[in-house]
Amino acid sequence: MKGLWKIANWEITRNLTNKQFIIGLLLTPVLIGVFSGIPILLERLNQPSLSTYYVVDHLGELASLQALLPENISLEAHQDSASIADIVRDTNSSGYFTLDQAFISTGQIDVVYNDRSMETLSTIRGSLTALLQQIRLASSDISVNQLTFVTAPARVREVALDEELEPQTMHMIVALVFTVLVFFLILTSGTMLMQSALQEKRDRMAEVVLSSVRSVQLMQGKILGHFLLGLMQLVFWIAIGLPIARYFWDFSVTEALAAVNVPIILFFGLGGYLLFSALFVGLGATMEDLQSAGNSQSLVIMLPALSFLFMGPVMTNPDGAIAIFASIFPFTSPAIMMMRSGLTVVPLWQTLSSAALLLLTAWVIMLLASKIFRIGMLMYGKNASFQEVTKWLRYKES
Amino acid sequence: MDGLQVQGVHKVYGSTAVVDNVSFQAPQGRILGVLGPNGAGKTTIIRMIMGITAPDQGDIYFTDHGRKTKGVPFSTIGYLPEERGLYKEAKVMSILLFLSGLKDVPKTQARERAMHWLRKFELEDYAYKKVEQLSKGMAQKVQFIASILHEPKFIVLDEPFSGLDPVSQDLFKEEIRALANSGATVLLSSHQMNIVEALCDEIFLIHRGKEVVQGNLESIKERYGNFRVDLLSSTAREAVLATDMVQNVEQLAPQRYRYTLKDDIRPLEFVQALPTGLDIRELTITRPSLHDIFVNVAQGGANHEGSLEDRQLGNYA
Repeated sequence: MKGLWKIANWEITRNLTNKQFIIGLLLTPVLIGVFSGIPILLERLNQPSLSTYYVVDHLGELASLQALLPENISLEAHQDSASIADIVRDTNSSGYFTLDQAFISTGQIDVVYNDRSMETLSTIRGSLTALLQQIRLASSDISVNQLTFVTAPARVREVALDEELEPQTMHMIVALVFTVLVFFLILTSGTMLMQSALQEKRDRMAEVVLSSVRSVQLMQGKILGHFLLGLMQLVFWIAIGLPIARYFWDFSVTEALAAVNVPIILFFGLGGYLLFSALFVGLGATMEDLQSAGNSQSLVIMLPALSFLFMGPVMTNPDGAIAIFASIFPFTSPAIMMMRSGLTVVPLWQTLSSAALLLLTAWVIMLLASKIFRIGMLMYGKNASFQEVTKWLRYKES
Repeated sequence: MDGLQVQGVHKVYGSTAVVDNVSFQAPQGRILGVLGPNGAGKTTIIRMIMGITAPDQGDIYFTDHGRKTKGVPFSTIGYLPEERGLYKEAKVMSILLFLSGLKDVPKTQARERAMHWLRKFELEDYAYKKVEQLSKGMAQKVQFIASILHEPKFIVLDEPFSGLDPVSQDLFKEEIRALANSGATVLLSSHQMNIVEALCDEIFLIHRGKEVVQGNLESIKERYGNFRVDLLSSTAREAVLATDMVQNVEQLAPQRYRYTLKDDIRPLEFVQALPTGLDIRELTITRPSLHDIFVNVAQGGANHEGSLEDRQLGNYA
């Protein structure tokens, strides 16, 4: 037990004094901020600019069309359809079109554009449709009231049968944030673990360390160390992220905390960590370096990414068959179960069977990993083949 | 007897017996040389002694102050493996503290001892430098320090001299001898026969997983090495052969011959048997070196079925 903590302690101090780790720790929130901030910023920068369209108006409807348009699109009347193209070019305006009798009878109109802003064009299209309806309506017997009545959309209210089924935005957001955060941590810690095993082999330290502790202790010490490191990162990021998030969005921390499904996140976060960490540390022991990972090894590396495949379908239909499968299948259940718990009320039998299956799988993987680790850590100079690894699994324990 | 006892140890990988029913002892305060060609099973034996792998059959005992334990307790082992290194991005002192911490040495004590040893090897300026900044020889010294910092009762050194310059080799030899004199059991594996010959008290020679010879260095030489006489003389050949004490003659140069004496012939006996008027310009009488015995034995045992070098599983066990 003492050896376990010493190994864990070594892994932690080694990383905390490692520049790369510190940079990663500080940079990750910055990167997340940049990547989530840039789209918002771009959206802001992309505020509708002023655009001008020249119109040859044979109908005298320019004023009513302008009234239908937002302020940033202005219309200029022009008499001469021959020179209008040049004017648009000279003034660098957005485009031109002609309102004439043919438009009213056929509904067809050519909007010639100079700058191809999708947003402006679609606004123009909408306004022209409205204008067309107004003009056609005026020449028919139908009153405006009648038209509005006929074309009004259905007003659908979504009411949950039981109150608890009703999704609460706060729950959803908190669950999603936690899912992404915890899963991101599982992935980074897993990768770091794999590298830690690889490094121990590369630096030829495994054998010396194994003359002081049992290989199981070395493996578990690494897993424990990186778990604590992960927790430190999580606390650090939340400590930084929370004030920032509160600055931008006004919400109550206590309410957000109340929205966290603590048992689910704790259990599946931990279970997921155990599963993937054992997988990755065992994998690291079979490899010489990352670049030369074989096919079967690459497949294992890809395994956690499965969860991302399911995130979309689960989001749109959190009670569907795919969601249920993904929240029970042990290699996706940690992330998906955390996510579902925020989106819907997961039936107890699903939670329990998912939890049991996750525990069982994590336990089995741990056992296999420790056998692989024991022999793999002492093998130098090459990647182990799949056949070799299966052979190791049958060797006698010391 | 205090020290290490290996009894009937057997280890099979696949269908090959990598270590085949091997027994030996390493008495306390002595240096035991474990010798053998590549793939003979040395590393496997060492790893079984370390408890890193388990023997299929047989037992390993360690006795310290009359207390016998099965296997060697981790805290009493100092191990310098053949495949060795140091964490590249860590500082020398933190590695030494980590490794001695694993052996339960209190931190302040470990730090003192580490400085003492670093000073001894003229590395005190590197104590707080990163391993990346060390030369290969310096790193090897740090590895050596790491393996003995906790004052182990049982020290295993696998090829400790490989890659060292002669000065450092002598330094290592001195320290290893001092460790044995202070009461440690030392198990040394090396290919450098001259060093083994100079350093080891006992020899265990293994080939293809099987014991070839073991015992005190002198007794081995006695058993396997008849005296050799190198003579520079233009006329002596006939007279020497006439003594009937020679097993074998070999011409080294036009007038230089090497005679291997028969089993029981002592040097003095031979010299006295030579006629008095013989014209001898040079005469040396030696035992064959351990190197010769080793090569002899290794080649003699070569007609074994299946080569260990062909083992499929690589060098992990």
